[in-house]
Amino acid sequence: MPQVSVTPESFEMVFYDAAVIGEVVAEVAERLGVEEEITLEIDEKSPLGRSKVVSHDPIELWVDGGALENTQRPRQFGKARSRDTIGRLLIRILDRRSGRFDDAPPDDELELTQIAAWDVHCVGRLARLGIGGQQKRRLYQFRNRHGFTDLADAAFNQLWESSELSWSEIERISQGCRTP
Amino acid sequence: MRKIFPAEELARDARFIRQTNEQRLSDPRGPRVAGGNASEQLAKLTPGLPNGPDRARALMHGIFVGEIQALEGAGRTCWDFEVGEDVPFALKLDMARQCWDESRHCEISVALAEHMGTELGEFAENGLLYEASCNPDPVLRLTGVNRALEGLAIDVFNTMKEFGNLAGDPVLEFCEDWMLADEVTHVKMGSDWLRRLTENDKERLEKALEFQKVVDRLFSFNGFRGEDDDSPIQLTRRFRELAGFTDDEIDEIADMSREAKAEAPS
Repeated sequence: MPQVSVTPESFEMVFYDAAVIGEVVAEVAERLGVEEEITLEIDEKSPLGRSKVVSHDPIELWVDGGALENTQRPRQFGKARSRDTIGRLLIRILDRRSGRFDDAPPDDELELTQIAAWDVHCVGRLARLGIGGQQKRRLYQFRNRHGFTDLADAAFNQLWESSELSWSEIERISQGCRTP
Repeated sequence: MRKIFPAEELARDARFIRQTNEQRLSDPRGPRVAGGNASEQLAKLTPGLPNGPDRARALMHGIFVGEIQALEGAGRTCWDFEVGEDVPFALKLDMARQCWDESRHCEISVALAEHMGTELGEFAENGLLYEASCNPDPVLRLTGVNRALEGLAIDVFNTMKEFGNLAGDPVLEFCEDWMLADEVTHVKMGSDWLRRLTENDKERLEKALEFQKVVDRLFSFNGFRGEDDDSPIQLTRRFRELAGFTDDEIDEIADMSREAKAEAPS
C-alpha cells in the first residue's frame, strides 16, 4: 500500500482520525494502481466539499473537511464520501499523466461545464471499480451544466460508460450537448 | 392517545438520522442552514455556484424533512386541543386541510429527491420545525409554525423555484411553484388566526409575536435569509404580503437578517 501523510495529525473541530483517513486514501490509491507516497492536507474548519490536486508529482491533495464528512452525521468522518472525493482526485492525476489530457487546461482554469463532464467520466470509472457512485447525483449536476435535455442525458451516459476518453473527446461530448 | 407528542419520539425508519439543535448549534464551524453553512461566504443560491447543485440537493432534503414535520405538527394541532373558544372548529379544519397539503408536499419532495439524485435520509434531519409545533399555547404554536417557519418556507420555495428556472429545470420550477402557492395559504392561516384569537388580548398577541421572532432568529444565522443580493435565501416580500404580513413585519425580518450578518464572524 502507498504511504499516506495526513495533515493535521489530530483534529479539533471534527471527529476525524488521521490514521483512519490515511487507510482509506491508501485503499483507494491501491485499487487505482497508485503506488507512490500521497500527501493529504485537510482544512477542518471548512464544512464545504471543495477538493483539489495541489501537485501531480509528487502527489499532494487538499480538501475541505466537509469533503470527507458523513452527510447524515455532521462532523463525523464519512468513508463512502471520502472514497469518492479521493478517488476523483487520484483518477484525474492518472488521466493527466496518461498523455490523453496534455491539451487540457490547468485545473483552476476549467469551466463548470468541463468540470462536470470530466467528473462524470471519473466517477463512472470509479463506480465500476466499486469506489463511490451516486450516478443520479452526477446526472443532476451534469444536467445543471449542460441542460435538462435528452441530448444531455445521452452525453452523460456516454461519459459515464466510456473507459478511457481523452480530454478532446470529453470536450467534444460536452460541447455537443450544451443548451445555448 | 397522548397530547403534546415529544419530538424525540417521532417515528422514523433507519434511513433517517436526527441532529439535535444542541449538536447543530455547537458545531464550531457554524450551524448548517438552508443547504449551506453559516460560516460559508454568502452568495445567493444559484446553479452558477460551483457547489450550487449539491447545495440545492441538501436544501431540498431539508424541505422534505420539514414537510414531514409540518404534517406531523398540523396533525398534532388537530388533536392536542379541544374545540372551544380558544381553538374553534374552523381552526382545526384549516389544520386538517394543511395536513392534506403537507402530505402532497411530502410526495412531491420524494419525487424531487429522486429527480435530483438524493437518497432519502442522505442528510441529517433537524427537528426544529416540529419542536416549535409542540408549544402548548395554540396561538404561539400557530405563530411559530405557520408564520415563522412556513414564512421561511415561502422564501425557500421561491429561491428554489428561481434556481429551477435559471437551471432550465422545469420539474423543479413547477413543483416549487405549486408548493409555494400552498405555503402562502398556510402563512395566511397563521396570520388570520393570530389576529382573530388575540383580538382582545394584546398581551397574548405580543407574546406570540415574540415567539415568532425567536423562531425567525434561529434561521437568520449570518444573514442567510435576507433581501440583500448575496443572501443565499431571498426574503420574498410580495408573497409575504399576500400571506398577511404587514410591511413593518417584513422590514423587521429583513433588519434581523442584516443584524445577524453584521454580527457574524468575518
